[in-house]
Amino acid sequence: MSHTLYVPRRPRVPLFAVLAGLLLSGCGVNNIPTYDESAKAKWSDVQNQYQRRADLIPNLVETVKGYAAQEREVLTQVTEARAKASQIKVDASTVTDPAKFKEFQDAQNALTGALGRLLVTVERYPDLKSNQNFLALQSQLEGTENRISVARRDYIDSVRAYNTELKTFPGVIWASTLYRSYKPMETFTVAEDLAKPPTVKF
Amino acid sequence: MLCRFRAAWDRVILGVLLCVVAVAAYALTFPELTGRVVDDAGILDPSTKAALERKLAEFETKTTGQLVVVTLKSLQGTSIEDYGYQLGRHWQIGQKEKNTGALLVVAPNERKVRIEVGYGFEGTLTDAVSKLIIENSIIPRLRANDFAGGIGRGVDDIIQAVSVDSEEWKARAKRRPDDEPSLLDVLALLFFLFVFFMIVRSVARQDRGYAQTGAGPRRGARGPIFIPIPGSWGSSGSSWSGGFPGGGGFSGGGSFGGGGASGSW
Repeated sequence: MSHTLYVPRRPRVPLFAVLAGLLLSGCGVNNIPTYDESAKAKWSDVQNQYQRRADLIPNLVETVKGYAAQEREVLTQVTEARAKASQIKVDASTVTDPAKFKEFQDAQNALTGALGRLLVTVERYPDLKSNQNFLALQSQLEGTENRISVARRDYIDSVRAYNTELKTFPGVIWASTLYRSYKPMETFTVAEDLAKPPTVKF
Repeated sequence: MLCRFRAAWDRVILGVLLCVVAVAAYALTFPELTGRVVDDAGILDPSTKAALERKLAEFETKTTGQLVVVTLKSLQGTSIEDYGYQLGRHWQIGQKEKNTGALLVVAPNERKVRIEVGYGFEGTLTDAVSKLIIENSIIPRLRANDFAGGIGRGVDDIIQAVSVDSEEWKARAKRRPDDEPSLLDVLALLFFLFVFFMIVRSVARQDRGYAQTGAGPRRGARGPIFIPIPGSWGSSGSSWSGGFPGGGGFSGGGSFGGGGASGSW
């Protein structure tokens, strides 16, 4: 009993400082910033992949125009959806702002939908479908969509870890003391129906 | 006594529940990485398999890239794209620093084939190149039920595509963000520097205290600090990959992000 209340002599103070350091890091004092960084890295991956898709679209639209210029409606839809998605300013604060995040997600989903309709329309043009340039673009687009879904899933997982850390013990202690500026992040609502090709009536 | 037994029993139940959750999160089961050709579906005869193994081993020593052929009994209800990247990550094909790994996945029962490309190969083995290899080299042979021919030709083409100016892409693969020092490393360093500084300062203060008065500790002395002791400490959080059991001795820690192409026949 006496040794806990005892005012420590000289060598004890460094000992306590070292112990405090080790114990604090053991209490997960670093977890919130770590998970935050990891989620932000995953978020920039998501952005990269969406950007990659946006970069592919002008070429794709041009190629399709060469064979199917009469499909003006669906081509315009794609171009407009792309423009709308690119207009949205996205930065690190987007992930903690539900309204901005929803705006981003909706715009990208609209572009996904428009692209799906374009690819269905293309089925009616055998010449275009056998065009090497188009095949290359199409495979890149498929690959990018796949990368987007992987990046989204990685992001969802790391946000889940981060948000859980903010709300559970011992993270909740640090969240309410040291890391008050750290807010929970938004995540994608998985809309499986968007992944399916849309049905188009001719 | 009974109470302690109950507590221990509760802990066991909790442990079991956690295990169940962990398994449920994984959902997919993966075949064991037994070699450079994993013929889970059993569509390759031993001599073809041995020849492929030799070819892939040679490729690995020459280029430091890693290519693994896998045939699957079942995709377990998911798409080949989904299964492919998770399998690549699970096996950690490719070197950790460069992520130069690729998988040729064949699922004969679903009639699907996919080239899954690691981050480091995405520059040379692009989606378009992968698609061409699948459509032109692999699928025509698989349609004719020539699995050995289709897979063999696919492997040749992938090796050729990847071997072209691999030096340039090696540099690019190194720039993956995963390999950069994380913020945690910096924070940990700063924290320890801070602790070190505190120690030095408190020691210095006390020394001065002793020197001036010659009496016991005055200013530097404070009451003991009480901190709850956690169950474990020192979880640094930095990624230690390459620790998967059953890695067959050559899974290098490479990662995958969904690059590549698929086809069906």
